Amino acid sequence: MQGISSRWLLRNLPWVEVSGGTYRVNRRLSYEVGDGRVSFTNVGAEIRVIPRELGELPLFRGLDDDEVLSALADRFEQQEYQPGDVITAFGQLSDQAILIAHGKVNKIGTGRYGDETVLGVLADGDHFGDDSLTDPQSLWEFTTRALTACTILVLSQQSFDEVLSQSAELREQLEQFRANAGQARDEHGEATIDLAAGHDGEPDLPGTYVDYDAQPREYSLSVAQTVLRVHSRVADLYNDPMDQVEQQLRLTVEALKERQEHELVNNREFGLLHNADLKQRIHTRSGPPTPDDFDELLALVWKEPGFFLAHPRTIAAFGRECTRRGVYPTSVDVNGNQAPAWRGVPIFPCGKIPVSESNTSSVMLMRTGEDSQGVIGLHQTGIPDEYQPSVSVRFMGIDEKALISYLVSAYYSCAVLVPDALAILENAEIGREG
Amino acid sequence: MTAIDPGSDTRHSLDPRAARNLATTTKTCPQMQGISSRWLLKMLPWVSVSGGTYRVNRRLSYAVGDGRVSFTNIGEDVRVVPPELAELPPLRGFDDESVLSALADRCEQRQVRAGEVIVEFGQPITEVLLIAHGKVAKSGAGAYDGQTALGMLTDGDHAGAQALADSDCLWEFTATATTPVTFLALPVAAFEQVRAQSTALAEQLEQYRNNPNLPQNKHGEAEIALASGHDGEPDLPSTFVDYEAAPREYSLSVAQTVLRVHSRVADLYSDPMDQVEQQLRLTVEALREREEHELVNNSDFGLLHNVDLKQRLQTRAGPPTPDDLDELLTRRRKTRFFLAHPRTIAAFGQECTRRGIYPPPATVDGSTVQAWRGVPILPCNKIPISANNTTSILAMRVGEEDQGVIGLRPAAVPDEYQPGLSVRFIGIDAKALISYLVSAYHSAAVLVPDALGVLENIELGR
Repeated sequence: MQGISSRWLLRNLPWVEVSGGTYRVNRRLSYEVGDGRVSFTNVGAEIRVIPRELGELPLFRGLDDDEVLSALADRFEQQEYQPGDVITAFGQLSDQAILIAHGKVNKIGTGRYGDETVLGVLADGDHFGDDSLTDPQSLWEFTTRALTACTILVLSQQSFDEVLSQSAELREQLEQFRANAGQARDEHGEATIDLAAGHDGEPDLPGTYVDYDAQPREYSLSVAQTVLRVHSRVADLYNDPMDQVEQQLRLTVEALKERQEHELVNNREFGLLHNADLKQRIHTRSGPPTPDDFDELLALVWKEPGFFLAHPRTIAAFGRECTRRGVYPTSVDVNGNQAPAWRGVPIFPCGKIPVSESNTSSVMLMRTGEDSQGVIGLHQTGIPDEYQPSVSVRFMGIDEKALISYLVSAYYSCAVLVPDALAILENAEIGREG
Repeated sequence: MTAIDPGSDTRHSLDPRAARNLATTTKTCPQMQGISSRWLLKMLPWVSVSGGTYRVNRRLSYAVGDGRVSFTNIGEDVRVVPPELAELPPLRGFDDESVLSALADRCEQRQVRAGEVIVEFGQPITEVLLIAHGKVAKSGAGAYDGQTALGMLTDGDHAGAQALADSDCLWEFTATATTPVTFLALPVAAFEQVRAQSTALAEQLEQYRNNPNLPQNKHGEAEIALASGHDGEPDLPSTFVDYEAAPREYSLSVAQTVLRVHSRVADLYSDPMDQVEQQLRLTVEALREREEHELVNNSDFGLLHNVDLKQRLQTRAGPPTPDDLDELLTRRRKTRFFLAHPRTIAAFGQECTRRGIYPPPATVDGSTVQAWRGVPILPCNKIPISANNTTSILAMRVGEEDQGVIGLRPAAVPDEYQPGLSVRFIGIDAKALISYLVSAYHSAAVLVPDALGVLENIELGR
């Protein structure tokens, strides 16, 4: 069977036993509203933000009045920029919310000696300036400059105020946003644990408690199933030297396992590609996956990084970039296999990571294990008629056509325990030559 | 009876969501994002301190600390803080405010662009330079023509102060600005004017000139007289090793909080996880994180603030390059590790790649980390990154035997929960809140100045 791959992800994820089908990830209370990406629709060259998607902006999170959201979406103006154009300038009045529909934008600050320093790269679906709408007097704290040709949508303060004056709901939302912003939190957005340190004398000590998230995320085990049919004549007669049923079963289970890995990567609900925090997603600096980008990934998952996961073609593209720079990263030994590595962290191939039509792909870096608050796989062992851990084969019966049926099921899921356990390098162009 | 129609969406059996209500949910203990690897706490050798104070006895040193000068600025106008002028060696110990203010008023502010030469080798020193902002490279004449780099000057450094005592001095280096530089110049002529009016200042200089040069080694320590390589029967020197009379004492610092748990929560909700224990675990994690933060940043004992001025290096260009780390390594023996912000490590890796080198990683306690010349570079997110994207890298030798950097913890504390950390039951108040006092005691000491070095003003985002 050609479809059998080495399934590095399945092999390297630590599997945690879930009894009762549900796994709850308790976390400390976080005041930070998740920051998402915005999607757009386009008719010809005209681009419009999907009104509901505005809920991804922290300012509008939880606002579900479609009328208000549509009114806001209608007031966005489309603008085009050429590479090198300045979109917003440091120190100017910040009176716009900006959504990037397409293109890459450099965020630039002032360096220590008056020159420029790059603070980050923004790209498709990112937004900035939206929180400055709450304060009409705020100034831009950075310059943004187009790296590629960009299409952006701009909501001016004036248009925002117009909608604000018409909608009581939006005003309420704004109040709530301001109140939430005032809560004491640490750099990760978690409710602070008050401490006093380095004090002399007899000051009043802060009293504290650790607050938990009241609605923690729950993962239920997902299932991949099929019904395997074997004709009783085949099962009875053609069994020497190989057991027909067993071979049928072996291949079916292999296919199920392949599907399981595919789901762990791509499932919209629990798949790793869809569960990385927005702050943990970066874009390539130039296009191809370079050693510099891999270093950036390592800076995001810096607490005991476990392994990189990339499409084999992405690994080849990365190898080319290394060669171009004249570096030869040494490979590492993983369970007797030589795996390519970067900075001692192995890079495992995984054909399940999609390569888009325009030849772009993603690279994941993760920390694994329950104890280190990493990425874990979830399964349940000890299920009835277990064939392999968390895979069961149950005899269904023989029908009137003499077909013997088996129900083959695999149960699995995976969870990212804290956001900084997983980082993704997006839009790595793997077809760039020269 | 419900008719079963295979085509419809209605369920024919129990929904898993409904079934879940009967089942036990497997759950994690509360996860906390702020927990980091805390390499510094792991790698520092901890010395038990009984009695709360740790005294570092050293040999007597004659080297006067050569401090940095601070400035105030109003808009573009920069002024030196008058008492800070006492950091200049000839003015050390001088505390007449009015005279120092007069000197501060006579400083002239100048600005040069990157690449401009500020002073020329061999020219007479006509003014003392105080660098307010920017980087200046010092270069001298090489052995065979050419130039040789003599180091960098940066914010707060000064040059040419010896001209205040001896007006015939010449510049021993050429100073070139490598970034835009703002500096103050105190003309020697203006200084002479002030001196003519103030007898106190004249006395101070007289005293400075007559200060006998006591025999000392290159580190400024009182010399231990020895004779070697002698022939015949000369008189052998007799000697003794003098100690510093007022050695530095470190008292243990504390990080504390009062943890409160309602007795109802503690009594009832403790299966399968003990609520008090989980609250305590997370509070202790937060205290440990804070402890590491204090060890790096505390203005009294924090490592960033306890680096000797001679051990403070500047980057050559801006980003952290292999050259800079080599420079940092040569300043001490037995460097055990570098400590840098994860983003700095990424920037260093990028500089290595740009030069086409791939330093092999090192393994520390089973974890693979980046290394340079075999010395691991450990990540620590407590090292600050300034608003304009600059940061520092620390390098240190550790251990009491090696006269390195050590961590200090109390030998034993009552109700000890972990080393140096105690959890004491305070009581239950009228609202049924159970209170625990959680305290962590810690400090760090640098036994000799060359145990700890720092590379400053590293620019990220280049």
